[in-house]
Amino acid sequence: MERNPMRRQLAIMRQSLFDQGHVDEQFVQLEELQDDANPNFVEEVVTLYYRDSARIILNIEQALERKPFDFRKLDAYMHQFKGSSSSIGAKKVKAESTLFREYCKSGNGEGCMRSFQQLKKEYATLRKKLGAYFQLARQAGPVETASRPK
Amino acid sequence: MAHTLPSSDQSSDQDKWDSGGLECKGQLLIKIVMRNRLTALVVDGDTTCWVLEQELLHSYGVQTLGVDNSRDAVDLIASDAEFNLIIIEKILPVLNGLAVTRQICEIGVRCKMLEVTACSRESERQAFLAIGVDVFIERPLDPEHLVPILRELDGQ
Repeated sequence: MERNPMRRQLAIMRQSLFDQGHVDEQFVQLEELQDDANPNFVEEVVTLYYRDSARIILNIEQALERKPFDFRKLDAYMHQFKGSSSSIGAKKVKAESTLFREYCKSGNGEGCMRSFQQLKKEYATLRKKLGAYFQLARQAGPVETASRPK
Repeated sequence: MAHTLPSSDQSSDQDKWDSGGLECKGQLLIKIVMRNRLTALVVDGDTTCWVLEQELLHSYGVQTLGVDNSRDAVDLIASDAEFNLIIIEKILPVLNGLAVTRQICEIGVRCKMLEVTACSRESERQAFLAIGVDVFIERPLDPEHLVPILRELDGQ
């Protein structure tokens, strides 16, 4: 059986997403929902996530420009953002969302702003990494049914 | 969730390289055989979560209908549409999850209701359980929580 170097690189890339803590088990669940009927499911869901969450990020940014902070509103936005982030297994983003909500609860504006900056960084990093991963996956071609090596 | 992540054991590395790591299929998705065709209503304002929840249900052969706001949800239920399971998110456009759940219960719906939310506080959890939600779980919806419910609805 031919050892496909692209597939190998893909596997390494994928593993590093887990090792570096960017994604968690939920990401594996997305992969499990992908099949012949839905061959690009993971990429589609992630694309959907980035499209929809962009709006929430903007809402939060705008809310952080209005003083005094409306912590309840900020918390509500982040609640939703955390929900979708956890649905795609975005581990670091989710952790930062939790932190943000803690700051909201304690009315810590400075903390919110710092946490949000960090969150945006993680969010952007994940997007880049997943983008590269999906691109390679497309190049590597569809997964064949695995057969035991001889 | 104590799931082992792939690639922690060296012996199957070869397979993983060849299939790009997607060979862990079937590891998390608990396999069950459903006897009946169940129907579920998914009420979730967040598209990503909505898509995922429906896909997860589909993979178990559940027929689903999805709405992204409370008004449509209440209208559907009030129009006598029947579902075995209703999955509701806490924060929804129009009415919040708690209010719409209360309305649904008042209409007299007696099916399994599952509340999904990003963060739960004990007070919220109690509030939902008090108005008739059967199960309250934190996002994301996963097979571990879903499968026992499906089994129960299927009469297994």
